Amino acid sequence: MTVPHEHLFILSAILFAIGTAGFFLRRNVIVVLMSVELMLNAANLAFLAASRMHTLQAGATQPSLEGPMFAIFVIVVAAVEAAVGLALVIALYRNQQTVDLEQVSALKN
Amino acid sequence: MANALFYLMSVGAVAAALGTVLARNPIQCVLSLLASFFCLATIYLLAGFQFLAAAQILVYAGAIMVLFLFVIMLLNLGNPGTDDTTDTAMFRKKGAFVGVLVAAATMAAGAMAVTAGALPEAAQAMPEHGIDEIPALAGEMFGRYLLPFEAISILLLATAVAVVVLAKRDRKDAPRKGA
Repeated sequence: MTVPHEHLFILSAILFAIGTAGFFLRRNVIVVLMSVELMLNAANLAFLAASRMHTLQAGATQPSLEGPMFAIFVIVVAAVEAAVGLALVIALYRNQQTVDLEQVSALKN
Repeated sequence: MANALFYLMSVGAVAAALGTVLARNPIQCVLSLLASFFCLATIYLLAGFQFLAAAQILVYAGAIMVLFLFVIMLLNLGNPGTDDTTDTAMFRKKGAFVGVLVAAATMAAGAMAVTAGALPEAAQAMPEHGIDEIPALAGEMFGRYLLPFEAISILLLATAVAVVVLAKRDRKDAPRKGA
């Protein structure tokens, strides 16, 4: 495809903004975790767009692999984050019978 | 053709992301996020990242989303009674204000950064085998990135242990043997 690099970055920014909005708007802790996943995916897209840009620029002799490498690491970290986050959700639900962040206020004040 | 598919998938990814953030039922959120990940995998493929597209589907769609779905089912949160998006709850003024403000600021910063300096035009054709060829990627991973690779394997091991500890039922709750 011959889409300009800007469009990939703009898509990444839109997805990141939607994820940010979800992170602040939602009160269900599972949906908040999903918003974080959305933000990590947007970051991945930006990494890959940068890699594509450097690979296709004039004078580049071999593909730029930094982007894909970082994207792989981000995917692993996202998996780790989801696993730990959901384990915390289960522990929270066991103790408080809720996943509503408004009602989890033991550390407030 | 490929360009049209890219824009189609972009619209799909954004719409599905909006669905994730706005859907009432957590199950709908998960399925929207899944759709978003599939659209993004197609975009990776179009941009020349074949391995990453496969990894996206295997790890995100295959593993992470199943984990989310599993927890929602396990805690029985899929019924409409436990949704958190009844109008007063979700669009309380303060939360909505902060959320939309931060998101708009992110968007503006991103858009300004992207449009400020013109990015170079694509001067070359896409490599025939895509950008992330497996042999080259493996060479990088076990060469220059060996230390981060090992660090991340330790992270995965620590996570496995931590999740077991976190999700395990408390000793106190378990019925005692003699009692």
